[in-house]
Amino acid sequence: MRLTAIAAILLSAAGLAAEDKPVRIFMYSEYIDPALAETFKARTGYTLDVQLYEAQEEMIAKLQTGGTDQYDVLVATGLLVKQMVALKLVQPLDQALIPNKANVGKQFLDTAFDKGNTYSYPYFWGTSGLMYDPAKVQGEPTWAWVMDPAKAPGPFTLLDEARTTLGSALVWQGKSMNSRVPAEVKAASEAVGAAKHSPKCLGFAGGVDGKNRVVGGEAVVAMVYNGDAARGIADKPGLQYAIPKEGAEIWCDLMLISAKAPNKAGAHALINFLLDAEVAAQNANFIQYASPVEAAKPKIKPELLNNPAIYPSAEVMKRLTYLEDLGKDSRMWDAAWTSVKSQ
Amino acid sequence: MASHLVVDGYLTTRPRLYGRGGLLIAGAFLWMGLFLFAPLGGLAGLAFAQRGEYGGVEWIFSWANLTRLAGWDEFGFSWSHLTILWRSVWLATVTTLLCLLLGFPMAFWIAAKRPAQRPLLLALVMVPSCVNLVIRTYAWQQFLGSQMPAAWLAQSLGLVPEGAALYPTVTAVYLGMVSCMLPFTVLPLYTSVERLDWSLVEAARDLHAGRWRTFRHGILAQCMPGLLAATILTFIPALGMFVISDMLGGAKFLLVGNLIQQQFGSMNDWPFGAMAGLFLVLASLVALWGLRIVSEREAPHHGARR
Amino acid sequence: MRNLPRWISPVSWIGLAILYIPLLAVGILSFNATRYGQQWGGFTTAWYAMMATNDAILAAAWNSLLVGVASTVIATVLGTLLALGLHRTPWPRWFRRGSDLAINLPVVTPDIILAIALVGAFAVLREWWAVFKPGLVTLIVAHATFQISFVTLVVSSRLATIGRDQVEAARDLYANTGQIWLRVLLPQLMPGIIAGALLAFTISLDDFVVSFFVSGPDATTLPLLIYASVRRGVTPEIHALSTIIVAGTMLAIIAVAWMQARRDAKPTE
Repeated sequence: MRLTAIAAILLSAAGLAAEDKPVRIFMYSEYIDPALAETFKARTGYTLDVQLYEAQEEMIAKLQTGGTDQYDVLVATGLLVKQMVALKLVQPLDQALIPNKANVGKQFLDTAFDKGNTYSYPYFWGTSGLMYDPAKVQGEPTWAWVMDPAKAPGPFTLLDEARTTLGSALVWQGKSMNSRVPAEVKAASEAVGAAKHSPKCLGFAGGVDGKNRVVGGEAVVAMVYNGDAARGIADKPGLQYAIPKEGAEIWCDLMLISAKAPNKAGAHALINFLLDAEVAAQNANFIQYASPVEAAKPKIKPELLNNPAIYPSAEVMKRLTYLEDLGKDSRMWDAAWTSVKSQ
Repeated sequence: MASHLVVDGYLTTRPRLYGRGGLLIAGAFLWMGLFLFAPLGGLAGLAFAQRGEYGGVEWIFSWANLTRLAGWDEFGFSWSHLTILWRSVWLATVTTLLCLLLGFPMAFWIAAKRPAQRPLLLALVMVPSCVNLVIRTYAWQQFLGSQMPAAWLAQSLGLVPEGAALYPTVTAVYLGMVSCMLPFTVLPLYTSVERLDWSLVEAARDLHAGRWRTFRHGILAQCMPGLLAATILTFIPALGMFVISDMLGGAKFLLVGNLIQQQFGSMNDWPFGAMAGLFLVLASLVALWGLRIVSEREAPHHGARR
Repeated sequence: MRNLPRWISPVSWIGLAILYIPLLAVGILSFNATRYGQQWGGFTTAWYAMMATNDAILAAAWNSLLVGVASTVIATVLGTLLALGLHRTPWPRWFRRGSDLAINLPVVTPDIILAIALVGAFAVLREWWAVFKPGLVTLIVAHATFQISFVTLVVSSRLATIGRDQVEAARDLYANTGQIWLRVLLPQLMPGIIAGALLAFTISLDDFVVSFFVSGPDATTLPLLIYASVRRGVTPEIHALSTIIVAGTMLAIIAVAWMQARRDAKPTE
């Protein structure tokens, strides 16, 4: 902070166009290459101020309690966009200020959660699947490893996320991940409930904890996000990450502009900056999640591009589904998840 | 004219005492009124509203949140919420008992030291609370991990399978809970124990009272204010605590704290969250009222009484 | 104090062990070269160096300290006065019972409910008074709001054990009310006030939920930073900072105790 302040003073003294208004981005920790702050400052004159949340739901709660005038750019998963628009937490983008949108891969534009990209552009994307020790499991990866106690190859953990875990159980049972049929959701919750009560189940965990249990050898298989898996595999080569044969969730985190952003121009500048091919490549090399910026690919390290845990093959991509906002039916899902976790 | 009365051996009038007392309590009550009581009243209104389709609040008033809290959800009646409540109360009760069992001896142990050493030991009890709860709980995870001495010991004794960690287990949850809450038990207990009038204890002994009766009538009765404060400061936070059970118990079972928190988070159902939260507040206040009445009955009938 | 049963001491040591095991683990982790995961990767002091140059961590630690001290001072003054006002006044029974419940309210209210109530109050107040924009001021006010109760509870339990006799003895010696309060009540209350303040301070240091909602972008506290980092795994820098906080607090305590011992060692006049 102090260094950037000194840098700002030096820059303005040198007569460069230095705005002292910062651009505030609200995101997960370790989700942007800190070195980019300097590049951003040099290119646009704005200071980058990274603010952290622990969970995206918390961010929404914070915005709802009058936090919209505190942040400029928000990072949120696609699933939440409809809700954020309905709650008037975000504002439409000025498309003319984001020429770098041309760099984004086609499959990440004009998606179901934000038709025409009125509000958002993608930041990073990923999947949730199974991380496992291949020495201790046999056969093709399947959700049965963590959903069917009889077929579990050993101790396992599930993700502590209602939509992802229940959704995966639905997919395993051959249903839609976004099912609105109460009987189907109930059946899925019963399956997860039975899995939970198995002595092999080490519980519901965040992605990091699940990964740590597999790396530590305490669990044989864990349901995790691909980014955590990639780190775990780097720690202990030989472990693997796979999308189960039944299919799994694909998620995409988006950049949006807060409804009352104090620095609207800066917010657009930041989104445009992060969609720049060079910048996106540098960021992707640091974060090690998959970048939706197609133009950045030539500059992304080949070992990342060729890592199936980060960039799945086209065949695997076909088995991936986005979670959708369920509107009124989310109450039913909430009840199902509560019953899983209470009995 | 107001009648006169004697306080602290000093002749005064009731209005004068009220004036002085009113001034003393005005600051705190104004502060709390503005920032707490008034907004909590607003939340009580929210508790009867409804969640909008996308999570906002629709100001349609109904009893729906109340029946939902009792257990009627989209799939008909379920015991979910009552189970959650019962589990939380049980966890908090056992934690409080464990903390009292450890905290009482610790309070005596500290109070028995030389006066110069007492603040030092008291501070020693408080120091761990300077480290964030999540950090300490994470540290318990590491300590109970499969490659650590504690797990090796348990493995070699055959208590857990080879290569297994000591968490998530019930024991781990209680270790974490006690570790977190113990300072809040010791502190208020100590303030009472330190003031203990030992002549009363000796009087009981001189009357050939048994050990238990000496303890109960000589010691416990005198420590009642501290015991009450310790119970409240341990039980109530333990009732709302869920981070420890999530991190050391594998997040397999919801507690009241989770239920309320997730209404303001992933479920985005603020009205129901407000209803569940206010229910917990009211239930706790009723419990406190009961405790207060019990303790007033137990309080010693000597100078310590107001 | 008189002859305590023998088992008191070992039980107390068990209690202390349960309190200190996690701190020991934190200390060890802060010297572990492995960044993510639990394996021992060799001894290093690199995390301390990284922590010392991490502006975000230092700023958060400073904010936490500032908020903790300021809110504790406010809460200790208001809370102690409240306890005195309630105890030293012959209030009618209904009033005493009512205020008893009011004092317990912040203790029994779940964090998240407190947080929502406080942000609500600040949002309304902000309409008239810009001071209530999310930041250090709101953090301090919010923390003090729930701390008052904890101070009052601890001080009250101390007040209840202070006998009337000393006050009456002082009165017999023609002490006036001010002298009684300053020279008789206050010194006897001091351990209670200190205990209450300590309790309040640690609660402030540990608070996440309320802080998350009432803080603004310029007022990140340590718990906010820590909770945010948990998602990607607690970093050893946080462990290093925690170790320094514990070590620093310990040193301060030992220093105070040492000075006390020296003062006591001097021949009494």
